[in-house]
Amino acid sequence: MRYGMIIDLARCIGCNACTVACKSHNGTPKDIFWSQVLVEEKGEYPNARVVPTPILCMHCEDAPCVKACPTGASYKDENGIVHVNQDKCIGCKSCMVACAYDARKFMGGEPKSYFPGKEVTELEEVQHTEFSRGVVSKCDFCADRLKEDLLPACVGTCPAQARIFGDLDDPGSEVSKILVKKSGRTLLSHKGTKPSVYYLAR
Amino acid sequence: MSNDSSDRSLSSVITWNKDVKVMPYALFGVVALIVGAVAAIMTLINGHDTMFNLSPEVPWGLLIASYAFFVLTASGLAFIGGIGHAFGNSAYLKINRRIVVMAFAVLLAGFTQIGMELGHPLRLAWYMLVSPNFSAPITWMGVLYSIELLILAFELYLVLKPNPTEKDHRNSAVVGFCAMIFGVLAAATLGFVFGSNTARPFFHGSYFSTFFVVSGITAGAAMLLFVHNLVYWGRVPSSLSKTMSSLGKLMATGIGVMIFLYLWKILATVYTPAADGGYAAIRELLSGSLSTNFWGGEILLAIVLPLFLVLITKAQSMKMLGLAGFIYIVGFFFTKYDFIIAGQVPVGGDDFIGSGINRMADFQAYVPASGEWLIMLLGCGVFFTFYFFAEKILVLEKES
Ligand code: SF4
Ligand code: SF4
Repeated sequence: MRYGMIIDLARCIGCNACTVACKSHNGTPKDIFWSQVLVEEKGEYPNARVVPTPILCMHCEDAPCVKACPTGASYKDENGIVHVNQDKCIGCKSCMVACAYDARKFMGGEPKSYFPGKEVTELEEVQHTEFSRGVVSKCDFCADRLKEDLLPACVGTCPAQARIFGDLDDPGSEVSKILVKKSGRTLLSHKGTKPSVYYLAR
Repeated sequence: MSNDSSDRSLSSVITWNKDVKVMPYALFGVVALIVGAVAAIMTLINGHDTMFNLSPEVPWGLLIASYAFFVLTASGLAFIGGIGHAFGNSAYLKINRRIVVMAFAVLLAGFTQIGMELGHPLRLAWYMLVSPNFSAPITWMGVLYSIELLILAFELYLVLKPNPTEKDHRNSAVVGFCAMIFGVLAAATLGFVFGSNTARPFFHGSYFSTFFVVSGITAGAAMLLFVHNLVYWGRVPSSLSKTMSSLGKLMATGIGVMIFLYLWKILATVYTPAADGGYAAIRELLSGSLSTNFWGGEILLAIVLPLFLVLITKAQSMKMLGLAGFIYIVGFFFTKYDFIIAGQVPVGGDDFIGSGINRMADFQAYVPASGEWLIMLLGCGVFFTFYFFAEKILVLEKES
């Protein structure tokens, strides 16, 4: 089993619903984004447009972050998902420097509220208990939802259905079928990390 | 109560050096230590966010640079001590006690830097013992520098033992030699922490392992030149002039090798900008946000000025050697700082569509926060306190 994702750039409208769904499901504290949409401006007025590219942890098959982690806090599970065990993390950040995809975030203080000048809300307070200070965190393909046969939050929420999720090892899965038909590419493939997130061309 | 003879033997190492006027340095050390310790405690209480200016773009900042600065200097000192033992070099053996005390103090200072840089310093020891990941270069770096600290502690004990026997001399030579081997290995492994990184092309490869070792040995020589000038307030006794001159030549040779390393690394990268060899980082150094640091700090302070001072005085003027040493040490710090920061230029380029928007701006926004400088001051405080009190109460010079 190797979970993977396809992001169809031709479908992505850059609405950031994935970003919000990720934050809402995982309760990531302020300034911590596991799922992001990078936006590039192209051309000049009146021939200008924005080009969105969603990124998240690529759950690399040959994950440099796992190799670089001195304590084994970063590890890959049997389903190909790369996790951080927050209790084991010493906050050395070597995994962040080893990751070419900006997928890991360090939390250097107490979680802050999203509402300026306000204390954290009760919901935030409950959600923040999952995050400890001084450690690195990252996307885990919503492993808790997968256990309940639900799709990752970003996939389930995407209004343009630009995200397809499944088992890359199963030739019958939707992701595998699409990748046979259309050639997907991985970001920074020359780094040799073998990402599990594929992109279909615009 | 000790009897007369043990008093005399102890006084061969422990004393109160009336003529050694190092108290101002030691007191500076104490003040720096206290100020730095307050900053360290505040960091432990408040967390990195309030004290440091790190970001997802630049997760490794000043403290990784200051860590490298201290521990590489310690490696360099251990190397110089090792040459003394390995080749029976009397110029270096003469100051062997000083070298060992200094290497130990500098290494301790380095440990404070990495300790405060970690999000969970206390967990470090536990998890490195129960579940070390041996495929992580940083694990080996930690192991090797810990071993180095133990070796230096043991050497410290041996060289300061009153009435050493012939066996003690032999042992301390063997231990000094081990300190050299492990020091160099640890420095090269620190280089490999970066060299093993495929995400950041500037770091990748064997280059920095070599550069770290060479520039560290040079820093060791520079440190000895500078500190001797401090201890004697610019009047290093003539009995040490051969040693100082030899250190000056070692420093100049080190700088000479560094010139080659710089030149070919830069040329190779600039010549093939498309080859993903860290061109963006080099551009940042040569003409980007780090260019003042690079031309002023690295080229001028780590290369041109110290080399000029040593050559023009033919490594004979003690004062000039001390000054050259001091200038090199400052330059050496820049070499480490620039290296750490430049290497973290956002990865991507064309393949990372959409990356061109804010990531460079976020990267360039990194300026060390005062909290980071204060932790670096803590490191300096550890060194000054430990070393200069040792100068005051220990006999650090011996005849052979
Ligand atoms: S994208 Fe980064 S964090 Fe995710 S597996 Fe790859 S290297 Fe690790
Ligand atoms: S920051 Fe944590 S997860 Fe990352 S390498 Fe260090 S210990 Fe491992």
